[in-house]
Amino acid sequence: MKAISLELYKLRHKHLFLMVTLFLTVEIAWAFMATSMSISHNPDNAGWEPLIAMLSSMNGLFLPILTAICVSRICDMEHKGNTWKLLLTVSIRRSTLYAAKYISTSIIMLVACLLQVLAITAFGIVNGFEQPVPLLLLIRFFIGTVLTNMIIIALQQWVSMAVKNQAFALSLGMVGGFIGMAADLLPLGVQRIFVWSYYTGLSPITQSYTNEKMQFIVRDLNSLLPMMVVLIAAGIGIYLAGCVHVSRQEV
Amino acid sequence: MNQIISTHNLSKRYGDTYRVKSVNLTVNEGDIYGFLGPNGAGKSTTLKMILGLARPTDGKVTVFGKDLGANRRLILNQTGSLIESPSYYGHLTGLENMRVIQRLRDVPDKNVTEALKIVRLEKQKDKKVGQYSLGMKQRLGIAMALLSFPKLLVLDEPTNGLDPAGIGEIRELIKSLPQRYEMTVLISSHLLSEIEQMATSVGIINDGIMMFQGSMEVLKNKNRPTIMVKTQNNKLAQELLFQKGFSPTQHGDFLVFESLTDGQVAQANRNLVSANIDVLRIEEHKKNLESIFLDITGKERNLL
Repeated sequence: MKAISLELYKLRHKHLFLMVTLFLTVEIAWAFMATSMSISHNPDNAGWEPLIAMLSSMNGLFLPILTAICVSRICDMEHKGNTWKLLLTVSIRRSTLYAAKYISTSIIMLVACLLQVLAITAFGIVNGFEQPVPLLLLIRFFIGTVLTNMIIIALQQWVSMAVKNQAFALSLGMVGGFIGMAADLLPLGVQRIFVWSYYTGLSPITQSYTNEKMQFIVRDLNSLLPMMVVLIAAGIGIYLAGCVHVSRQEV
Repeated sequence: MNQIISTHNLSKRYGDTYRVKSVNLTVNEGDIYGFLGPNGAGKSTTLKMILGLARPTDGKVTVFGKDLGANRRLILNQTGSLIESPSYYGHLTGLENMRVIQRLRDVPDKNVTEALKIVRLEKQKDKKVGQYSLGMKQRLGIAMALLSFPKLLVLDEPTNGLDPAGIGEIRELIKSLPQRYEMTVLISSHLLSEIEQMATSVGIINDGIMMFQGSMEVLKNKNRPTIMVKTQNNKLAQELLFQKGFSPTQHGDFLVFESLTDGQVAQANRNLVSANIDVLRIEEHKKNLESIFLDITGKERNLL
């Protein structure tokens, strides 16, 4: 706990929360504008499903980049100020520091996901959607997004900690954003290899074209569970590999 | 006297080359141990191994009588350090940087105030460290090392980047630490003049090998003057002076005498003159510490 609160303390004057909020505002505003236009063309789309599907696919583009920036800012301060030696000589363990950074970033991204859920709810209510707020769908959307984020954080943190030059980590984030956006266009087998594709992959809503019309289908939760288990296992693997690799590096 | 640090055959190899080879370093309680060596001699690597930042290829480190490998956390809790360039969070203020270490060290507020006061940064404590000069960053680094007022302070080239007044201040501060706070200090430098003025013990390392270790007094004793005498016939003069109880050695055109009193010099001169050997020159040569250091570390290097 002390290490986590210290990480959050070290983020002072970095305006990270402001940056995350602004970034999310752009994403949400874009998603809502697109949904509003879609509703004005086709009033049948005035429902929760298209809205959640829209945000899931936008997340594929925005969240990998946002995650890369957050992780990079949290890790880079140790490289920039040459503080690894300082921290290690006050007897903090590298694995503790690694975990504290991971949890801190996860908390920030969790808040970001929560903001998205609140924004979706507010948008639906303001636009007078007929159906009641779909709590279960929103929770599933939230869990899917948070889970994908956590795996991406593990990957980004490994790169950000191991390679001093943050251009690598940020480039990875941008590549991830591109893959996340284009994931639905790839064959399913290829999609599953890329962790960034899971924003839409774990979304409770899927889209399909039938008779040249877009259909929004609610996915069966049971069909997503095995995928989640595999993803969690991959996340743990990436985290541990990163932690061990970084701990073995000499300062 | 208690040994605070002792290393046994400490070695570090990178690839095929030894950066540090079989170093046996001993720091006693209350010492200000000056660890001297030219740039790249292996000082920082040795200090990093003593602090557990680098794993030795071979050898053992004992601090406070305990093995470093098994008691790293316990040892580091009682050790303050500044290794190479100062470490800091540039986006935080000086005080916030101190608070980070305060939280990790779990020490009271008064330590922060006192450490900042000691390094005279209390007026700049609310300024972001990114805007500090190198000297101020260095002083902040020293304040962080002092924060828990540890038993052992390890400082790697702490006066780098400081102006002459700053160097003087830090020197006086370091000299006062053993008495004021009962600290033992291990300080490295490539500047002999700096170490000469504050250290009680010295270790000289070159190319990863410890060339000299002992008290400052022993090192200074190597500073004895030699008398050099040039005569018209050095060979004859040497034979004569041997008979008279002197033990000169031939060195170029001169006969060299170690540690002669003024009376002995006059006596030797009298002996030579009365034997009809003309004395052309009598010179006193005094080695300064600088040349002793250069001798030990291999002369050719440009150290300063």
